[in-house]
Amino acid sequence: MAGDSTADDAVTAVIVDDHVAIAAGVRYWCEQAVPPIALVDAGNRLGEVWTGPGAAADVVIFDLELVPGKPAFGELRRLVDSGRYVIVYSQHVDEATAIKCVDLGALAYLTKREGQAHLVPAIRAAARGRPYTAPSLSGALMADDAPGRPRLSVREAEVLRSWFASSSKELVAAKLNITVKTVDTHITRVRIKYANAGRTARTKSELVSRALDDGLVTLAELNQTVTAVSGVHPTAEDSLPA
Amino acid sequence: MAVDDTGEVRTRAQLQLGLRTATLLVTVVIVCGLGLSSLVRHWDRYDQPLAQAGAFAALAAVLGVEAVLLVLRRPWRRSLRRTAIAVVFAASALSYATVPDGRTSTSVDWVFGAANWVGVVVLLGRPLWILVAFLLAHELTALLNLLVFDDVSRAALLRFATGSVNVIGFPLCVAVVASVLRRLGSAAAAAGREIEQARTAEAVAAAAHRLRQQRFAELAENTIPLLEGLADGSLTPDEAGVQRRCAIEAARMRRLFAEVDTVANPLLHELRHCADVADRKGVLVELDIRGRWPPLPVAVRRDLTEAALTALATAASWARVTVIGDSARVSVSVVADCGAVDVPSPKVPGVRIDTFGDDETIWMEVQWQATRQRTTPSRR
Repeated sequence: MAGDSTADDAVTAVIVDDHVAIAAGVRYWCEQAVPPIALVDAGNRLGEVWTGPGAAADVVIFDLELVPGKPAFGELRRLVDSGRYVIVYSQHVDEATAIKCVDLGALAYLTKREGQAHLVPAIRAAARGRPYTAPSLSGALMADDAPGRPRLSVREAEVLRSWFASSSKELVAAKLNITVKTVDTHITRVRIKYANAGRTARTKSELVSRALDDGLVTLAELNQTVTAVSGVHPTAEDSLPA
Repeated sequence: MAVDDTGEVRTRAQLQLGLRTATLLVTVVIVCGLGLSSLVRHWDRYDQPLAQAGAFAALAAVLGVEAVLLVLRRPWRRSLRRTAIAVVFAASALSYATVPDGRTSTSVDWVFGAANWVGVVVLLGRPLWILVAFLLAHELTALLNLLVFDDVSRAALLRFATGSVNVIGFPLCVAVVASVLRRLGSAAAAAGREIEQARTAEAVAAAAHRLRQQRFAELAENTIPLLEGLADGSLTPDEAGVQRRCAIEAARMRRLFAEVDTVANPLLHELRHCADVADRKGVLVELDIRGRWPPLPVAVRRDLTEAALTALATAASWARVTVIGDSARVSVSVVADCGAVDVPSPKVPGVRIDTFGDDETIWMEVQWQATRQRTTPSRR
C-alpha cells in the first residue's frame, strides 16, 4: 500500500501523548519520512485535536492511556464517530485492548515498540482511510477467540500468524509461496471482515464499501461472514462500552 | 517422615496407656480390695465410721475420674490434678484424725497403704521427683499424725517403719519404671527421627547426584569437546566459529540452569533466559506471546527453544522471538540477523522445524503438535 501514491501528498497528523520524548521521536520519524509528514503536537490536551490545526489534521495518533490504568475507549469512540482517522499508539501489548480498539473503529493499533518500523506507513495508510495491521495486532486478531469473531479462512489465519511471527512481509511471502501484494490483500481482507462484523462506524463502512469497490471482497463473501456469526452478533454489540 | 512420626507417637501413647491401665487396676485392687475390706472389718472400732467412709469415697472418686479419663484417652488437666492431690491429702487427714488411738499403721489405718497408690495413679505421667515428693509428703502426714496425736511407743514406731517399706517402696518402683519407660520412649523416637533424617538426606543426595550426572551427560555432548579443544589449543578463541560455539554453549547452560526453576510458565522462563544472553551482548530482543498452552515436558521445551537459543546467541544486532500457542499446538518463532545457523534436528516426535530467509536475516519456526491422545477438545 506504500506504493500507492496519490497526488495529495501533504499528509498532516496530530499526536496526543503525554510523554514529550514520544512526541519528539514521532516528529523526527515524520520529518525523515519521504515525503515528510506534518505533525501537530497536542501534548496531553485532547481539546487540541478538536480545535485549531489539530482539527484539520488527516490522522490522529492517539495514546490510549493518557491517564494511567484508564484506557480512553470513550474518547476513541468519539473521534471515530466524528469521522477522524485514528491510529492507537499504545503501551499495551494485550490482545483484548488491541481488538477492542479495532472494533471501535481505529484504523491501526501499534504498540510503542513497533513505532519505528510501522508508524509512518500506518499514518500514510490511515490518511487515505485504509487500515494498517502491524504484527502485534495481527497476533491479536489471530489469537482472538471471542464468540462474535468473524470467520477467517485457513490462508488468512496462516498469513496473520506468519506476519506476527516474522514481522517481514517478504518472509511471509517466501514461506507461503505468494507475493507480498497477496500477503497485504489477505491481511486487509481480515480487517474488512472485522469492520463488517463489528459496530457500525463511518470509517468502518467506508472500509467495507471501498473494499467492495476495489474488488477485495465480494458482497457474497461478506454476507457469508455475517451469516456465520449472526447467531452471536448481539453479544459483540453488548460487549461494547457504554 | 510425617507418617513415621505419628507411628512413634502412637507407640509411645500405647506404652503409656498400658502402664496407666495396669497402675489403675493395681490401685483399685489395693484400695477397694484391701482398703475396703479393712474398713468394713473394723467398722465398729472407728470413733466416726462415717468420716472413714467419706475418706474412702473421696479416694474412690479420684480413681473414678482416672477411669473416665482413661476410657476417653485423655491426660489429667493441671487444675484437675491439683484438686485430686488435695482430695487425697484431705482424705488421708480425715482418716488419720478418726483412727482409734494406738492403731496407726495397722490394718485399721487402711488409708496409710491406700492413699499413696491413688496419688501414684494421679501423678504417673509427671516427672519422677514430683512422685517422690508426694510419697514423702504422704509419709510425713502419717508420721506427723503418729507423733502429734498418738502415743509414741516403740511398737508404733516399728509398725510405722515396716509399713513404710510397703507404702513407699512399691509405688516408688512403679514410678521409676514409668519414668524409665518414658525416657526409653523418647530415646526411641529421637533415634527413629535421626534414622529418618539420615535416610532423607541420603535420598536427596542420591537424587542430586543423579541430576548432576544427567546434566553432565548433556553437557558432555557439546560443551566438553569445546572446552577440551580450547584447553589443548586445537580451537582458538579468535576464530568467529569458535566464538559462536561458545556463545551457543553458554546459552545452553543458561537454559539448563533455568530448567530447574519452579515457575508458572517454564517455556517463557527459559526463552527469557536465552533472550537475556543476547540482551547482554547488546542485541535488541523482542519477545511477543499470543495464546495459552498446557505444561510441556522438558524434552519438548528444549526442542522448541533450541532454534531461538541458537539464533539469539549468534544474532548480530536484533532478534524477534514469538510464541503462539493453544491447547494442541505451540510454535516458537525467531527472526534474527544471525546468518545461516546450524540447529540440531528435534529429538521429540511431533516437533517440526522450518527455516526461511537469506544469508543475513533468518526465520526459524519450531512447532510442536500434541499427539492425538493428549489433544483435548477445548477449541470453542
